Amino acid sequence: MTHLVDRRRLLLGALGLAAAPALAACTGDPDPSPGTGGAPAQLRIGYQLIPNGDLIVKDLGWLEAALPGTTVVWSKFDSGGDVNTAILAGSLDIGLAGSSPVARGLAAPLNIPYAVPWIFDVIGDNESLVVKPGIADLAGLAGKKVATPFSSTSHYSLLAALAGAGVPESSVKIIDLEPPEIQAAWQRGDIDGAYVWTPVLAELRKTGKVLITSRELAGKGKLTADLAVVRTAFLQQHPQVIKTWIQQQDRAVKLVRSDKTAAAQAISRQLNLDADEAGAQLSELVLLDAAEQAGADYLGTPAAPGKLAENLHDAAGFLVAQGKLPAAPGLDAYRKGLAVQALADAGAA
Amino acid sequence: MSASTVATAMSTSRRWRTATLRAGAVVVFVTVWWAVAAAEIWPPVFVPSPQSVWQQFLDTSGLRDTARPGWAGYTLGEHLWASLRRMALGCAYGISGGLLLGLLIGLLPAADAVLGPAVTFLRTLPPLAYLSLLVIWFGIDESPKVWLLLLAALPPVAVATADAVRGVPADYLHAARSLGTGRAQLPWRVLLPAAAPEILTGVRLAVGVAYTTVVAAETINGVPGIGGMIRDAQRYNQTDVVVLGIILIGLSGLAFDGLLQLAQRRLTPWRGRV
Repeated sequence: MTHLVDRRRLLLGALGLAAAPALAACTGDPDPSPGTGGAPAQLRIGYQLIPNGDLIVKDLGWLEAALPGTTVVWSKFDSGGDVNTAILAGSLDIGLAGSSPVARGLAAPLNIPYAVPWIFDVIGDNESLVVKPGIADLAGLAGKKVATPFSSTSHYSLLAALAGAGVPESSVKIIDLEPPEIQAAWQRGDIDGAYVWTPVLAELRKTGKVLITSRELAGKGKLTADLAVVRTAFLQQHPQVIKTWIQQQDRAVKLVRSDKTAAAQAISRQLNLDADEAGAQLSELVLLDAAEQAGADYLGTPAAPGKLAENLHDAAGFLVAQGKLPAAPGLDAYRKGLAVQALADAGAA
Repeated sequence: MSASTVATAMSTSRRWRTATLRAGAVVVFVTVWWAVAAAEIWPPVFVPSPQSVWQQFLDTSGLRDTARPGWAGYTLGEHLWASLRRMALGCAYGISGGLLLGLLIGLLPAADAVLGPAVTFLRTLPPLAYLSLLVIWFGIDESPKVWLLLLAALPPVAVATADAVRGVPADYLHAARSLGTGRAQLPWRVLLPAAAPEILTGVRLAVGVAYTTVVAAETINGVPGIGGMIRDAQRYNQTDVVVLGIILIGLSGLAFDGLLQLAQRRLTPWRGRV
């Protein structure tokens, strides 16, 4: 009989062990910030390895210095989709996500309670369409195999470029590959082109030809960007923390302009690159300071929300056409999704 | 009533009982699932409701008219067919290779010394570890996926065959030889039939391992394919499609295992009675 009891206890223990992480993953960490309006105990940031101001702020420890009473927790993410999930679960306060995941997050069924207080970077030459030298233009892609990581800003840009050139999407074989596999497939000659980002892009450019870049697409109104998202509840409880956060991001953009070497060194430490390569990658992105972000083309002002809302709305329309979103919400939902007041407050100080 | 009809009646009633128990368990499971989803303790992205999974089933299978039937340009049937085709190819090559290797290892001590550790080495590797190598070697189309499934299915069959062949009593071989069987005929006429029950268990294990590998195989250019569909849906936080894919993989796996068990009973009816 004792054997039976032991076994049962073992089984229960095992079940408990198995259930604990699953439940923890479902509920997320309890919100560590007290709702008193004082300094939060923790600021949980989800960052990505993209050579922009966020890595400079992280490397130089500016946030830790500016928020003495608060522990800053940095967690690395690989995609905006994961950042969406983490914020939805309440495990992150601020995160970095591309314009495509944010367009999805602000729409049903996700309806993530977050807003965009800052544009980390507008994607420029660091994402481009590279093809084999024999292909002359976008029309020449008909019947060819082109790879891109699906659901990314590159995917959006590729389809926007094809639509802009009047090439039907169905005439091109578009396949879903992650950057490392794109590099392998390119070297083997399995694909005729790819829309992808650095560092794989840099490898492809050595033997291929750039047809169009995201910088050119942004000029045509098909802007893609890496955006900051902040949990709405956190923004309401701790507006001064977000204000400080924006000011540090602004400082990083200004450092890139005043002392490119120092900025490149900070980024090279975070990306494990040499400083020259980091500097080259940094200049392929378009960085905007707080004053520029308050312009009509980007976040705008509380009185006049900027064009970023339209870009996000376009991105949502694209997702609907792809069957990845049931319906695009109105432009208003995206205007409300821009935390322009926070940006204005940070600029006023 | 004769003894055999009593036995038949008993086994029929037992079968009914099993079937009722199983159906009841499924009903209980779906009810609990529905209740948890309806309580909305967690957002629907974390726990999609059975209804939304069913809706996705109707939409993606093309059973209902929608503007864009299917998922990522392919219907559910096409996804499933693509995965099953890869599975069938990978398992066919893997099982044949495993049989040959197993025979060699079981019969020739030299082969055992060399290939035995190699098979064990292969068996312990997680498929995702060498998938990127397969992509570099074999490209992004069908061949790396079939290779991955082959490599997953081969070791269980090889190990089971080697053990089974070694375990065939020497008396069988002596008896066959004294009744005039040629040396070259021994593997096919005596060894394999005698080892068949254990080999078939190895085959069942192999198909199971290949099933768990199919999602990994389809992480790279896996659309169409159930694994590719799951991965694509995961990217867009469409958890209901993920759950749908998981249910389909599980159900088709159950069906396959059922078929294999049936084959086992038909091919080796003496199993457990000798």
